[in-house]
Amino acid sequence: MTPDTSGETVLEVRDLHTHFFLRRGVVKAVDGVSFSLRRGEVLGLVGESGCGKSLTALSLMRLLPKGGARTIKGEVRLGGRNILECTPAEMREIRGRRISMVLQDPQTSLNPVFTIGDQLREAIVRRRRASGVPVMEEAVAALRRVEIAAPEQRIGQYPHQMSGGMKQRVVGAIAISGEPGVLIADEPTTALDVTIQLQYLKLLKRLQAETGMAILFITHDFGVVGRMCDRVAVMYAGRIVECGPVQRIFEAPQHPYTRALIASVPKMTGSVGRLATIEGQPPSLMDLPVGCRFASRCAHVEQRCLDAYPGTVRVGEEHTADCWKVMPS
Amino acid sequence: MSANTRDAAPLLRVEGLRKHFALTKGILFAKTLGHIKAVDDVSFDIRAGETLGLVGESGCGKTTTSRMILNLEDPTEGRILLDGEPIHGLRGEALSAYRARVQAVFQDPWSSLNPRMKVGRTIAESLIVNASRNRGRGDRAQIDARVRELLLQVGLRPEQAQQYPHEFSGGQRQRVALAAALASRPKLIVLDEPVSALDVSIRAQMMNLLKDIQAQDDVAYLLVAHDLATVRHMADHTVVMYLGKIVEQAPTASLFDDVRHPYTKALFSAVLVAWPGQAAEEIELRGEVPSPLDPPSGCRFHTRCPYVMPHCSQREPALREVSPGHFVACHLFE
Repeated sequence: MTPDTSGETVLEVRDLHTHFFLRRGVVKAVDGVSFSLRRGEVLGLVGESGCGKSLTALSLMRLLPKGGARTIKGEVRLGGRNILECTPAEMREIRGRRISMVLQDPQTSLNPVFTIGDQLREAIVRRRRASGVPVMEEAVAALRRVEIAAPEQRIGQYPHQMSGGMKQRVVGAIAISGEPGVLIADEPTTALDVTIQLQYLKLLKRLQAETGMAILFITHDFGVVGRMCDRVAVMYAGRIVECGPVQRIFEAPQHPYTRALIASVPKMTGSVGRLATIEGQPPSLMDLPVGCRFASRCAHVEQRCLDAYPGTVRVGEEHTADCWKVMPS
Repeated sequence: MSANTRDAAPLLRVEGLRKHFALTKGILFAKTLGHIKAVDDVSFDIRAGETLGLVGESGCGKTTTSRMILNLEDPTEGRILLDGEPIHGLRGEALSAYRARVQAVFQDPWSSLNPRMKVGRTIAESLIVNASRNRGRGDRAQIDARVRELLLQVGLRPEQAQQYPHEFSGGQRQRVALAAALASRPKLIVLDEPVSALDVSIRAQMMNLLKDIQAQDDVAYLLVAHDLATVRHMADHTVVMYLGKIVEQAPTASLFDDVRHPYTKALFSAVLVAWPGQAAEEIELRGEVPSPLDPPSGCRFHTRCPYVMPHCSQREPALREVSPGHFVACHLFE
């Protein structure tokens, strides 16, 4: 699939920095992240735990965890406006209507003491633009849209009466009820069984085709990336180190980290010999090196990698990498 | 039980295993509402030094099966034999000897270690227990030497024995859990989703380590997993379960080359092939796994099967051999 480059940019993130200010020091969890998202496209954000992908998402929603996390620099342009400058009241209007989020665990996203119908209704009433249709009917329609069987009965049920896959559909229904232009999905299928995961991903694709929303899909699973995304951004130690069309990233990854990561995934075809591994650990986010952050684990490290950060280099159509090796000399 | 006519005597044999949990209502005058057939007539063999992969979705009975093999749960029917000896009903000495021979590594390395114990002590624990069983008290120097050896074997440094679990990363903790499991020189280790909580790059390290240890120590693994690619890399034989039953069972290479059962096919198409445009035949299953309290009649998969035939809901298919060593329970192959 070639990404549709004609689509207008709905979300643009420039040089985003979100740090944790702790007594022990500053944790630079998101440290200079830039990307853009076009209407109708799915951008995958992949990386290992602690690389800053979830905190990037929370920064976009302006829902940072309490306890010292602050976005100190950067811009998040949603339809031409920098939402980092919005007031809390304006943000409440933006969340749900313009940008929405689905989290990993549907169990904790839903309130256990209210029925599905109550929770959907709350979302619908708050985000309502035109009235006329009774709220209840709209809630049933929202459930039908996420392919829940017998929505009229389900609407009166509590979250514990539903399976994990069904709960995640309800969360999806709530998230898209305000018809947002951007949906952030943070590992939405990690807690689901594989056959249910496939159903959910296909549902997301269908909903996207209907609404034309842009999806930022956060995952650590390259299988999900291959199935869902048009473009993919690979994050390492607080920065995007490579970004490009899915096909290109899989077939010709340019950054040594992306290459190593893809090589370490067990495949469904080919030989079953030893898997490639990445030795060592990511650097501490409290004490980042001045040079390339992957240098200490990179097989191709040189002196210049340790001396300075390489900067983002264009390596192909819509394809960039942060590496000295790909820099034209 | 034709499914297991392999030559050498197996290390572990599972025969006609069933586990039914009674679902009751009330406390004093409890009324039985029904039985959840978590495991229903399961048989397989594990040979020494071999890995058996057990695959299926949540509720298919793979964890209950592994708990019975670990002797944490008694079967309702059927039996498990280790080296030809039934394992249930063992008491005292014989039971602790069994525990030394069959060990486990669980999914979550954050909860399987005692946070208040130095990891060296955690690893030494089974050595101390064993020593006190044999000779009263263990020789301290000997135990320390073995702990050092185990840490080196799993790729950690001997001096790390003095550290606490919170000082380790997730991958390192899983190595500690493995070292503790290896301490008593077991014949079989139950690996319950050993890599699914780990990061992608750490996963590969752990899988390589598990294979190396198997080659060195000739230990057998029962690998409980939902990720087919992991099973493909690790297992010699693979068993696929659905709602408490085995639906397909084969040498791993033959299963991955020639998937037969519609459920296994659906699992394969649900595996998100990492290469865009690589997936071949795709089966998207409708609906969810039915409740094991009231499993569908006949073939338990018939409610979701895309190839369902009229008699599927009436007769239960038996496991039959479709090619050497490859068994399928499906009416399509009769």
